[in-house]
Amino acid sequence: MSNTEDTTLANFTIDEKLILVNESAESPEEIIRKLGALLFDNGFVKDSYTQAVLDREQVYPTGLQARMAGVAIPHTDTEHVLKPAIAIATLSKPITFQMMATPEEKVQVEIVIMLAVHDAKLVIPVLRKVIFILENDEALVAMKNATTKTEVKMAMLKHIESMNKKVK
Amino acid sequence: MYKVKIVVVCGSGVAMAMHAAYKLKEKLEAEKLSVHIDGSGNNELPGRIANYDIVVSNVQVTVETDKPVFNAIPLITGVGENELVEKIIAKVKEIQAEKGA
Repeated sequence: MSNTEDTTLANFTIDEKLILVNESAESPEEIIRKLGALLFDNGFVKDSYTQAVLDREQVYPTGLQARMAGVAIPHTDTEHVLKPAIAIATLSKPITFQMMATPEEKVQVEIVIMLAVHDAKLVIPVLRKVIFILENDEALVAMKNATTKTEVKMAMLKHIESMNKKVK
Repeated sequence: MYKVKIVVVCGSGVAMAMHAAYKLKEKLEAEKLSVHIDGSGNNELPGRIANYDIVVSNVQVTVETDKPVFNAIPLITGVGENELVEKIIAKVKEIQAEKGA
C-alpha cells in the first residue's frame, strides 16, 4: 500500500524511511534528534524543526500513558514543516518523558510518534486517526512487538484503515 | 436551554485540542446537552477565557481563573475517559441549573 494510492492519508507520509525499530536512546532529546534527522534528510522539515520540537517539549511535554504503552508525540508549529509526515521510533528500552498536562509526572515511553504538520486544518482528519492509535490496544501491542520497519508501518496503516469509518 | 461554552486548550490550539474537542462534542451531544465547544492555544487563552464556562486542557493552564478546569488527557489516551466525561456532564448540568435553564 503506497501513500499515493491511499487517498485517506491525504498526502500525509507514513514511510519506512521515517521509522526506527528497537532503537536505543538515553533521553527524549536523543530520540527527538534522531527522528528529526530522518524528517530533515528526507525533505519533510526545515532545519529549524528539530530544535523547535525540543524547545516545545520543554514547555509542553508530550508523554502519554495509554493502556498498552507509554507513547510520546513530539511536534511543533507548522512554520518548521514542508510536507506532512510522521516519523515513528520503537525503543529497545523505555525513555522517561514528562507527561502532557502534568509535567511533574513521568511516563516510561516505548513508542515515539513525531508529527510533522504543515497545515493543521488540512491534515486534522489524518492526524486524528493517528492519535486514536493511543486507544487501539492491538495496534500499540503490534507496534511494540514489531521487529521490522515494515511491521511498524503496517501496524499504523492497519490502525488508520480501521479508523476510516469512524473519523471523517 | 443555556448553551454551556467549553474551551479545549493545547499548546498551539490546533491538532491536539481539536482532537479532544471533537471527542468531547460527540460524547456531550450523545447526552443531548446544549453545549458549544471551541479549541484554543494556551497563549490565546487569557484573551478568550471570559467567553467560556468550562476549560478542558491538555497543557498546564497558566492563566488564573475561577472557572472549572479539567485535564483533557483522558480524551486523548482513552484511559479514565468515561469518568472525565461524567464529571464534565455533571458540571454542564450544574451550570445550566445555575443559569436558570
